[in-house]
Amino acid sequence: MIQVDNITKQFKKVVKQPGIIGSVKSLFNPKSEIITAVDNVSFDVQEGEVLGFIGPNGAGKSTVIKMLTGILTPTSGKCTINGKIPQKDRKNYVKEIGVVFGQRTQLWWDLPLVETYSVLKEIYEVPDAQFKKRMDFLNEVLDLQAFIKSPVRTLSLGQRMRADIAASLLHSPKVLFLDEPTIGLDVVVKDNIRKAIAKINNEEKTTVILTTHDLSDIELLCKRIVMIDKGKNVFDGNLSELKSKYGQMRELCFETDNIEDVKSKLQYASRFNATSDDVIVNNDGANVSVKFNSDKIAVADILGYTLQEVHITDINVKDADVEEIIRRLYKEGVTENE
Amino acid sequence: MSKFLKMYTPFTRAGIQMSMAYRFNFFCFLLGEIFKCFIMFFVWQAVFASSDSETFMGFSMVDMTVYLFITFLAGYLTYSEGTYAVGEEIRDGSIAMRMIKPVSFDMTFLFQELGNKIMVTLVVLVPICVGVELYKYFVTGSFMFNLLTFTMFLFSVVIAYLISFYFNVCYGFMAFFLKNLWGANILKEVIVDFLSGATIPLAFMPQLMRDILTFMPFSSLSYTPVMIYMGMYSIEKSLGLIALQLFWLAAFWLLSKAIWRAAVKRLAVQGG
Amino acid sequence: MLKTLRRMLKMHRIFIAQDLKKMMEYKIDFLTGAISFLLGQVFNIAFLWIIFSQIPALQGWSYDEIIFIYGFSLLPKAIDHLFCDNLWMIGYSIVAKGEFDKYLTRPVNPLFTVIVEKFQVDALGELIVGVALIASVIGKVSIHWSVLNVILFLLVIPFATLIYTGVKIITSAIAFWTKRSGQITHVVYAVNDFAKYPTTIYNEFIKTVITYIIPFSFTAFYPASYFLTGENPLFNIGLTVVMSMAIMAVSVLVWNKGVAAYESAGS
Repeated sequence: MIQVDNITKQFKKVVKQPGIIGSVKSLFNPKSEIITAVDNVSFDVQEGEVLGFIGPNGAGKSTVIKMLTGILTPTSGKCTINGKIPQKDRKNYVKEIGVVFGQRTQLWWDLPLVETYSVLKEIYEVPDAQFKKRMDFLNEVLDLQAFIKSPVRTLSLGQRMRADIAASLLHSPKVLFLDEPTIGLDVVVKDNIRKAIAKINNEEKTTVILTTHDLSDIELLCKRIVMIDKGKNVFDGNLSELKSKYGQMRELCFETDNIEDVKSKLQYASRFNATSDDVIVNNDGANVSVKFNSDKIAVADILGYTLQEVHITDINVKDADVEEIIRRLYKEGVTENE
Repeated sequence: MSKFLKMYTPFTRAGIQMSMAYRFNFFCFLLGEIFKCFIMFFVWQAVFASSDSETFMGFSMVDMTVYLFITFLAGYLTYSEGTYAVGEEIRDGSIAMRMIKPVSFDMTFLFQELGNKIMVTLVVLVPICVGVELYKYFVTGSFMFNLLTFTMFLFSVVIAYLISFYFNVCYGFMAFFLKNLWGANILKEVIVDFLSGATIPLAFMPQLMRDILTFMPFSSLSYTPVMIYMGMYSIEKSLGLIALQLFWLAAFWLLSKAIWRAAVKRLAVQGG
Repeated sequence: MLKTLRRMLKMHRIFIAQDLKKMMEYKIDFLTGAISFLLGQVFNIAFLWIIFSQIPALQGWSYDEIIFIYGFSLLPKAIDHLFCDNLWMIGYSIVAKGEFDKYLTRPVNPLFTVIVEKFQVDALGELIVGVALIASVIGKVSIHWSVLNVILFLLVIPFATLIYTGVKIITSAIAFWTKRSGQITHVVYAVNDFAKYPTTIYNEFIKTVITYIIPFSFTAFYPASYFLTGENPLFNIGLTVVMSMAIMAVSVLVWNKGVAAYESAGS
């Protein structure tokens, strides 16, 4: 359904020179630098797949999405969706996709929701009968009835998100792009939205590309993940692969007033029968970080052992999160996807 | 006194910085406004060309031109955003915060606007005054700049700004009563514009209007300083009108304090 | 093609209805604004009246003729203001805030969608004043209302309107390269003030600018002077149409180039 072949996107950014003299200089001799936001990214998506698209902020995820939706044109490389190239014949192409930008609404601020859908009906040329069926379906899945008469500007974030998703699906697109759809929402609402997306993917076989920071979104919806960092594709595989390889590394951070004790008394490797991959100890002065494989070593155990052996002034255990996984992935230079 | 200044000069600095940051906007707006000046200039030029006499209701072409540009200058110097500032604070409730802080609300805003006015003085007043004097010199052949008149003008225009400031603040308190200030703002601008002589010199208006207008503060906003600049008044009359300006300044200042006190009482009773 | 037009009109209707509803909600505010606008117009006319109390004619134009030109100038400005006011937002915020993306993800012309979203109801006031002014002097000016002239009058107004629209499109499109162009639009738009009066009162430089570069003279003076004097139809009316078409062509070109060059603001 989706083929992305070596797409690269570079932006020319004008370098602002400081001060008044700088401004004058910029007028006559503007300096610009080239920023590579996306660097040679390739991946494929099958029809009906729900792809998790993750990466830290500024990694280039949104840029890739914008290229796939036809908003931006790749500097090089090409992408094909359902046999069409987004930038060529844009108007025809966008009829088959739905887009939701989590941080900005696609809806009209002052229009009541129900009118918004009427406008979209005209835009996407949805026939009357189909429109009615579609609205009933979306109403049911996303529970819009309660606020369908309200203007968009009065909706809560959760309601607006549901309304946006409905808007993106009104014309039964083949591909749905969701850019951070659960950002800023509380747990209950997030859950509802995830259920709705799952249901739609199930019943209509809509291909979904889901960009998110939330690992739980991924866990509940996606079997496959593509991870982008610094514009590059650093991981492409199943969720289980990712978790088994990197998700279980957690970090124990503590502060001690006796750093010598740490070096002599804490022997994690021998105590837990772990390899050097499973326990990594670093210290920065009085701050110590112990990265450990939580599959092999229970949190309670390592916590207990540490407290027992060394005098601690502060301690906490960090969770594995996407940022952490990626950071580690990239720092360790592991790009095992190819 | 120096403690007072120390407390408020940071606001002026902030005002200058803001003006610098938005200088592109500032110049674009200035350009647009200057267009209007030049349009009027050409209209009046055509009027004088179509007329048999050298004067129009007592003004010569030179007079009219000076009037136009100095009125434009006075407009820039007396413009105040007090209404918006007060209106916004009332609308989003942050006016309650002002009640708690030990800084005087109007002073902080006044000093901030002063920062902007400094920029206006440098960028608008100097070129306009120089331009006008050069124009007068080239047309009449004599250099007619009078330091006393100019000083009185400066004094008068500063008072005019302060009147404008406090008038705007008072008007801004309308936000306590109105949902939306948009329409009311336009109304104020249109009326004040006209009654302060921006479109038509007040001297051209029919006698009845002129009599009514002498009781209103609007001529103190623009007409008085402009006419002083043009040397149209004797020194006694100029000083007398400046005294009138001071009267209006005191009036609006007191009014703003009174409304503020009433508002504080109301807010304290009713809550935010 | 016709089907698309029908759909677009249906869309437009929904937005118009919405903006009318909003006006009804803020009735008092709207009325105050309307009265203020009316007052402003009264003052402008008072200005003209005072001038004409001392001179018989302004460069050969009588009071009634000047009023005709002034009223005429309000018509295209009002119509453009009524329908295309949203274009200002492109230069002021839409592009800078990254909100233009959504227009590109829809299978309709982005320019059209941007325009159609807002119906600026208060422009109707401008329109009414313009019509009223013209109506008030229609008996007093020497216009020969032949069938041809009536047709030309009705025809020239929409073309004059497009000059305003074209100018706004061009200056707004600059935002696609510079992120913000609201101030530029403001300044260029402000030039239209020159057009309220006979172009002949200005010096050569200004005359050239407002005739051939930012052709606002063709939105009021030139066409109006044709009706008042019957002279130079080819220049006064013909060139209005030509200028209008030229500006629209340039504007669509610049807009399309702008969209192609558009690099949407960060995420």
